[in-house]
Amino acid sequence: MESTIAMYVAQSLNGLSYGMLLFLVSAGLTLIFGMMGILNIAHASFFMLAAYFCHTFLKMTGNFWLALLLAPVVAGFFGVLCERFLLRKVHAFGHISELLITVGISLVILEGVKTFWGTQPLLVATPQSLAGFVLIGDLKYPIYRLFVVGLAFGILGLMALILYKTRLGMIVRAAVANADMVNVLGVNVPLVFMLVFGLGTWLAGIAGVIITPILTVYPGMADQMGMDAFVVVVTGGFGSLIGAFIVSLALGELNSFGIQFIPKLAPVLMFAFMAIVLAFKPMGLFGERG
Amino acid sequence: MMNKTTKWILWIVILATVVSFPKIFGIYYTNVCVLFAIFALYSVTLNLLLGFTGLLSFGHALFFGSGAYATAIALTRIDGLPLLPAVLIGGLTAAFFALITSPLLVRVSGTAFAMLTLAFGQLMYVFCLKFRDITGGEDGVGGFPIPPLNIPGVVSIDMTNCTNFYYFAMVVLGVSIWILWFFTKTPLGSVMVGIRDNAQRVDYLGFRVPHTKAIIFLISGGFAGIAGAIYALLQDIVSTDGVLTIFTSFMPIIMAFIGGIGSFFGPIYGSAILTIMDEIITTYTERVELVTGIVFILVVMYAPMGFAGLLGFIKQKWLSRPSAKTTVEGAS
Repeated sequence: MESTIAMYVAQSLNGLSYGMLLFLVSAGLTLIFGMMGILNIAHASFFMLAAYFCHTFLKMTGNFWLALLLAPVVAGFFGVLCERFLLRKVHAFGHISELLITVGISLVILEGVKTFWGTQPLLVATPQSLAGFVLIGDLKYPIYRLFVVGLAFGILGLMALILYKTRLGMIVRAAVANADMVNVLGVNVPLVFMLVFGLGTWLAGIAGVIITPILTVYPGMADQMGMDAFVVVVTGGFGSLIGAFIVSLALGELNSFGIQFIPKLAPVLMFAFMAIVLAFKPMGLFGERG
Repeated sequence: MMNKTTKWILWIVILATVVSFPKIFGIYYTNVCVLFAIFALYSVTLNLLLGFTGLLSFGHALFFGSGAYATAIALTRIDGLPLLPAVLIGGLTAAFFALITSPLLVRVSGTAFAMLTLAFGQLMYVFCLKFRDITGGEDGVGGFPIPPLNIPGVVSIDMTNCTNFYYFAMVVLGVSIWILWFFTKTPLGSVMVGIRDNAQRVDYLGFRVPHTKAIIFLISGGFAGIAGAIYALLQDIVSTDGVLTIFTSFMPIIMAFIGGIGSFFGPIYGSAILTIMDEIITTYTERVELVTGIVFILVVMYAPMGFAGLLGFIKQKWLSRPSAKTTVEGAS
């Protein structure tokens, strides 16, 4: 009986940590969607790019914290470059062109990664200070996963603070709601777009770095996370942060318990969840626009 | 518009090239040419949605893949299944999947449509990986017998011979493309373009938009399935990584875009350009997709009407006559 409870606790914590990672990725995605009206297909590619940068920085400096600080910033910088020099150019051609540009970016990043780092999976060790286990009742649980949850909550708090308490956050929220209007009011909207794009890819980058000790770094890692993040954004409602948060956690738990009880169908559960939600609410759970 | 004689000469030249191709270029390039034709049909079916109906599908591999899998599985399980029914099974299975996904898909358009098709495509990928009893999981289905083309009492043609298969594939794919071309000229084809330009108005005129979309989806999916079926016969192996990945969905989009989505023949140009490009690039580097991706980005940025648009532009500029008309059919 005790072991059953321990299993439930462990699985729900696993689900929580994956859900939080998923939220970091999908928060950026949903913000970018809100502003530009497109889903950034390349979003998960930046997540993967950060993971690879993390591996390289670790090799160069040996310091995980430095990598955690630098790799997402570099990935975010790449994101800003893509927005400034590629996406902005095709903005006038409409959504389909923008969507296709992100497809092209994701292809180039994937192949670039394969060219520079090879196709072999790369291992990243858990940092020494977080390598141990913590006892929850009878359950030995890795500290690192708790750290992931804590860090993600910290960033979530910081983001909420910026978005809801500062002037910049107010402008961003306004631009998400109606970019044209904000532009007319004299705000440099393209600059805000670039900033949000950079911020979104930075968030995805953080997720990419902190997932590396749990997962290996390999060229396919963007696919899984990318699909999950799309499902989150579509189900939670396009452009809704709260929706993304709730659905991320729900999917994390669904995934975690799905693997425990019906391993064969676990990946399908997510899509089934999305199909059911969309059948009744085509705009997603918290979405106002399609 | 070209005059009648030039048109006839052009068709005769094309036909002569297709017929004499295996004699001139040898077995390797014959197979490359079949591959080109398969992807030409595949991206034409995608362009039926993207260019004509204005729906961007990110999950077209669902149809290509299910067609390929259906043909492969049918040939493995059913002894003595003739060739044409095997191809037909591929097309019908794909159309069936189009039918069961359409109730959700016809209600949305734009980004939501793209995302939903993406999700369905991935769903199929996961299904095929997990149900290994039927689909063989990662290994896929391979080594199934390729039946001869049997016309009872007349002739039986061995399809394991590359040259024979080339002619068979060219005829099937050519006829499929011709049917689709004919379809775009029917009244239903015009409704399709109407939906792209102004769905609300088409609705107001009394056409049932969701039903029309579903029919187009069915046709597009079914023919993509036929392309997949021929692909399965060509390769004699079908695996999830070969026919169901997200890249298989992106490929026809890239081809259609490079060729030009405004024109019916654009995707065929695109498929030709990419096939030739692949052959050239592979002699220099293994990372073909890197170059493809960069070319794709450049085309989206600087030549949104693609090769067909460029062709039309050149025609208008240098061959301009009062009656000059571009190849762009219903430019978007």
